[in-house]
Amino acid sequence: MSWGDFLIVFVSCAITMLICRVAPLFALKGRSLPEGVERALGYIPPAAFAALVANDLLTPGMFDAGLWPAAAPLVASLAVVLVAWKSKSLLWSAVTGVTAYALLTLI
Amino acid sequence: MPTRSHIKEAFHAAVPIMLGYVAIGIPCGILCDSIGLGPLQVLIMSVLFYSGAGQFMIPNMWLAGAPIASIIASVSLVNTRQMLYAASFAPRCAAVSKRLSFLFAASVTDESYGVNTARFEEGGWSVDRALWVNIFSNSSWTISNVVGVLVGSAVGIPLSIASFAMTSIFICLLVTQKISIENVVAAVVAMVGVFLCKLAGLTGPAILAGAIAGVVAAMLANRALRAKGGDCA
Repeated sequence: MSWGDFLIVFVSCAITMLICRVAPLFALKGRSLPEGVERALGYIPPAAFAALVANDLLTPGMFDAGLWPAAAPLVASLAVVLVAWKSKSLLWSAVTGVTAYALLTLI
Repeated sequence: MPTRSHIKEAFHAAVPIMLGYVAIGIPCGILCDSIGLGPLQVLIMSVLFYSGAGQFMIPNMWLAGAPIASIIASVSLVNTRQMLYAASFAPRCAAVSKRLSFLFAASVTDESYGVNTARFEEGGWSVDRALWVNIFSNSSWTISNVVGVLVGSAVGIPLSIASFAMTSIFICLLVTQKISIENVVAAVVAMVGVFLCKLAGLTGPAILAGAIAGVVAAMLANRALRAKGGDCA
């Protein structure tokens, strides 16, 4: 990729990214929001985390290449759920996840 | 304003993100090296664009021969989920200066959104601390990416395993959410929504569309529950 191509891609992506990151915050900041909007904002975290997890773990046709390659991350996720529940620690969850997944793919 | 103790607290909060970013930042830098990007380009991109998904997509699509317009459109679409994070932080920034709000908002990622949201909900958190979490996370991301470019393909880290650190962080953040009927509805509908989007071939907007579906479903569940409560009373 040349500098010219790089600059076009980088500047365009950086601008759309900055708008997405900043515009909604400034549009809503400092206003007293209707109760319904406040409540909706409160539902963003569980919905967003669930969406991110599903995006990483679920793909249509994921079992086409056999059961295990797709099941290994799911099994590792169960280990993470247990550790997360008990420890509430992001660090331990990440260590558990990577270790469990690495061990499971060795099988 | 940001005292030493705030920075220290922010660093503690940021450590899991920083380690995760080392794990995915180095492979990302290696990938960028493979399409001929240099350390300076990767540095600029990591500091100012700062998007894990985006920085993986650009070299991947370039390698696949995608036209530039299609790369820009796909990356931008994937990053629209940031709008939800920005909206959810708006009330936290109500009494904060424009400059601090801007710097904080401009440096939010999936992971730092999660960590800062959890801290805000626990209480005793502030936007300046949250900004420092973003700064530490970005430093780790940037350094790891540049290291990745410099070592090139000399080291082979299986990316699927390294990136599972991030998946694990999201799982932990999901599991530690307050358990209420509305939250469970939000999570389940969001997951189904993401899967259905992917099934329909809409991989780009899957996260945003799934999350919005989850929020809408939770609102409906809340309305139904309150209607029921009203009948009883």
